[in-house]
Amino acid sequence: MSGVLRSEWTKLRTLRSTWWCSAVYLLVVAAFGWLAAATTSSAPDAGAAVGVALIGFAFGQVVLVVLGVLAVTGDLGGPMALASLAAVPRRTRLLAAKTAVVTVWAALLTALLAAACVLAARTLVAVPGGVSAGDPAVLRAAGLQVAGAALVTVLGAGLGAVLRSTADAVGLGLALVFVGPPALALAGGETASRLSQALPALRVGEDAFLAVPTSWPVGLGVALTWAVVACALGAGLLERRDV
Amino acid sequence: MIEVDGLTKHYRTRVAVDDVSFTVHPGRVTGFLGPNGSGKTTTMRCVLGLTRPTAGTATVLGVPYRDLDVPMRRVGALVDPRARHPGRTAHAHLTALAQSNRLPAYRVDEVVDLVGLGAVAHERVRGFSLGMAQRLGIAAALLGDPEVLLLDEPVNGLDPEGIRWVRELLRELAAEGRTVLVSSHLMSEMEDTADHLVVLGRGRLLADVAMADLLGRHASVRVRSPQLPLLGAALHRAGAGVSLEADGALRVEGLDPAAVGDVAFAAGVPVHELSPVVASLEAAYLELTGDDVEYRAGVA
Repeated sequence: MSGVLRSEWTKLRTLRSTWWCSAVYLLVVAAFGWLAAATTSSAPDAGAAVGVALIGFAFGQVVLVVLGVLAVTGDLGGPMALASLAAVPRRTRLLAAKTAVVTVWAALLTALLAAACVLAARTLVAVPGGVSAGDPAVLRAAGLQVAGAALVTVLGAGLGAVLRSTADAVGLGLALVFVGPPALALAGGETASRLSQALPALRVGEDAFLAVPTSWPVGLGVALTWAVVACALGAGLLERRDV
Repeated sequence: MIEVDGLTKHYRTRVAVDDVSFTVHPGRVTGFLGPNGSGKTTTMRCVLGLTRPTAGTATVLGVPYRDLDVPMRRVGALVDPRARHPGRTAHAHLTALAQSNRLPAYRVDEVVDLVGLGAVAHERVRGFSLGMAQRLGIAAALLGDPEVLLLDEPVNGLDPEGIRWVRELLRELAAEGRTVLVSSHLMSEMEDTADHLVVLGRGRLLADVAMADLLGRHASVRVRSPQLPLLGAALHRAGAGVSLEADGALRVEGLDPAAVGDVAFAAGVPVHELSPVVASLEAAYLELTGDDVEYRAGVA
């Protein structure tokens, strides 16, 4: 397995698209975070201040979907699949390694960004008692953001394995995490709000951006379910498929 | 050693491979021949576990390919020259493949030099010609120094120098005792390369034969004489098949040149030319497929 993980890391880091996606992700989330913090003069507590600074992830998740999808479709969506599957005939192992590598990469970037966003809230937003990095509310907000970003990346990889087409998988991924939750929230009504809560929005939990909020354990559970189901379906189809 | 037993693959509307069985032995180059669409690629992909057969089995070194943990150390394959990501460099492509099978990094540089891609190893493969892509595919197949090689149309797109290089490489690999299966739809290409032939037509096995036997079976003798009718009659009595060529020579089938000379001497007929005619593989192949009634019926 370690060999396959190293191989997948090589595949990820030797594509320009990875670095473009990473740069855009860092830029979008950091810029939105600092802008939001700079235009917020005060907040009632540290959790609220950090929540404001994390707003950029709502847009940044678009890049995570693309990153997760490309990691799979770039390798298994075209003729390259012949070489990859001949080299690693254990297909589920290959997909698992691929997903793990891109997810760890996305989580690292997100952790870096979450720290930057906490710093922005601490520097730019006036909060009674200040924003301390050790505050449980701050740690929870940042931790949820990293977990949510990781799960969206896993979902992207799973959709890539199911659909094999970059355009189809990115389209469906964006519909699920970016368009669906706010659109259903705006539609109003009991059914639409329930559906909105059942979609995997990146801002898991109570501060769901533009979507209908739930408690964070529910939000995390929903995102986890979507990610796991997509990957399991993707692995099942990959095992069966002729290439 | 590659063993294919009763292999059958149905796609929705057509039968790609129909109950094909053959064994590829080590120490020689086995040519895998057949026109386009005859099932060569499907058979090779079944052997490599890329395609699931409808019925029958295919094993490499005694086990199904998908049961091999690090297959590249034992089996090398070129399936499709396009099997690479266009945005990756040749070196990165080979490094990723090598790592997946825990092969040492120096093997990448070795195979890059071996296939002659040293100058372009750090360029993105997007700009590679078909010939360069084939060389990259061959490099990938050789990465693990495998004892079994499957190459699907490796000389497609190569220049004459490249074709000669592949031919010599395959002969060398077979001479080292490896199992080499190489497919082509061009008969002439195999003539100087393969020791043994497996021929498919319309998904069915048409022949599994040693090259020398196939050519020998279709060999003939050309003989010229001022007393042609006399010689013809004598050869006919000796049991040979005799026919008149357009240029006035006799074409004799069923006797070797020495026997034809002996018949002429016994009959007291002077001989002005006596030469063995080796059948071209192309002619032998056409005769082979032409004899296959089912194949012809299928075409019509």
